Amino acid sequence: MARSMAKPDTLLTLESLSLAQGNRMVLENIDGHFEAGTITALVGANGAGKSTLVQGIMGELRPVSGHVRCEVPNARRAWLPQQLALDLTFPMSVEELVMSGCWPTHGSFKRYGPAEYRRGQAVMQRLGLQSFEHRPLGELSGGQRQRALLGRTLMQEAQLLLLDEPFANVDAATVEVLIDVLRAMAAEGAAIIIVLHDHDQMTRLADRVLRLERGHGIWSTPATIGDSSSSAETLA
Amino acid sequence: MIDWLFSPLVDFGFMRRALVAGLALSLVAPPLGVFLTLRGMSLVGDAMAHAVLPGVAVGFLLAGFSLPAMSFGGLLAGLLVAGLAGSVSRLTGHREDSAIASFYLISLAAGVMLISMRGSSVDLTHVLFGSILAVDSTALWLIVGVSSLTLIVLAAIFRILVVECLDPLFLRGQGIRGGAVHGLFLGLMVLNLTAGFQTLGTLMAVGLMMLPATAARFWSKRLEGLMGLAIAIGMVSSVGGLLLSYHAGLPSGPCIILLAGVIYLLSALFGRYHSVFARWRRRVQPMLPPDAHG
Repeated sequence: MARSMAKPDTLLTLESLSLAQGNRMVLENIDGHFEAGTITALVGANGAGKSTLVQGIMGELRPVSGHVRCEVPNARRAWLPQQLALDLTFPMSVEELVMSGCWPTHGSFKRYGPAEYRRGQAVMQRLGLQSFEHRPLGELSGGQRQRALLGRTLMQEAQLLLLDEPFANVDAATVEVLIDVLRAMAAEGAAIIIVLHDHDQMTRLADRVLRLERGHGIWSTPATIGDSSSSAETLA
Repeated sequence: MIDWLFSPLVDFGFMRRALVAGLALSLVAPPLGVFLTLRGMSLVGDAMAHAVLPGVAVGFLLAGFSLPAMSFGGLLAGLLVAGLAGSVSRLTGHREDSAIASFYLISLAAGVMLISMRGSSVDLTHVLFGSILAVDSTALWLIVGVSSLTLIVLAAIFRILVVECLDPLFLRGQGIRGGAVHGLFLGLMVLNLTAGFQTLGTLMAVGLMMLPATAARFWSKRLEGLMGLAIAIGMVSSVGGLLLSYHAGLPSGPCIILLAGVIYLLSALFGRYHSVFARWRRRVQPMLPPDAHG
């Protein structure tokens, strides 16, 4: 308890968190603080428990033991799943998707006012989506969709943002836009946790790294995790 | 022509009641169908229509040909099947569609058993295939009441349904239980199926939900467009089917649904998007230039 109050700007604390899928223990005694303004890369091999940890943080999975303490209200927590998890044939335009980020303030009933539409326009401009605003999601490229999804979380003014491999199937220009926007969101005080594979992206984006290995979490920094490998690789 | 169209409506009160009932149902059933198709639940509506049957049969056995009793029985049976299927799927982790398929078959068998125990009845064919004669003013109030309630609830949960279709996790993150919304949606569907069986019959009622919705997908890519078109198609089918049923002396349910079916087939052939014709036209036309975007 004393630990979670140690740092005033800690938005999320994991205390000896153990998580299981069914009766198979996946993660044991994970500890960590996630502060406002920091970007944490979550890395690990397939099946190491990255998605399990994300589920635990989002409250989808009850801890076997330990605690998840989150200072961010539900409405300001955002989870950006992999694109494959979404039904993108749904007849919705980019603008409508971005505007659905108004949920915390507008809920199911309240009408979006001119101020919200202006904010939506600004968000789309920031992500380079202005020429696609009325395009159905089904007709977008992977990169354009990812921008639109990030647009929703910008609209939501998310303070805690979890992203699952946001750069998969995304063009190079979009990677640059996403990195800029995520950096700016962190600078504005959000805590960001991002599941990543690419080492170069990790060095460019992350302040800290949480590596999951054999059920345990190991904290480090991008610099210490891959001194050997070159970070000068160009992005795909 | 004008006379052919209007004289049955002017001359007969039961035609006017059937017309109002058809229009009221067409206002709400097709939008429900649009959501069913978008949620990948196209066949769930069909299963639920079968599930309603034993309740209707019990209502008929207990109270005779009383529409409120049969509707109430149908509603109860439908909600029971939906509730049981939902619970089994949550408790066992099996997919909901397989649970619904199992329970509707049990329900259907129970319904057929109940009917055969009482012996066949001419009245019961009305239940299965619909009869415009069956719409008295009690039935009409029931249908209009259900339609109004559905419209209000659908408006209230519209944004939730839209957001949930696309990304259920987003809503769960916002503290909205998807299960509750889903249950409410299934409840609305059952309510409309039971309201629809007077004019359409239990097995046909789902047709007014699905066919306008599936036909509309060939004409619009926008949700508002899908809803509006589906409602329009539902209304045209209802009015046209009723008149056809009157003039040709055919049962009203199949007439309405077959008309909607014809519209669906024409849409699949000649619709604006993804139809056979649209695909052919795209093949012979030159490509559009790419977006002015890097």
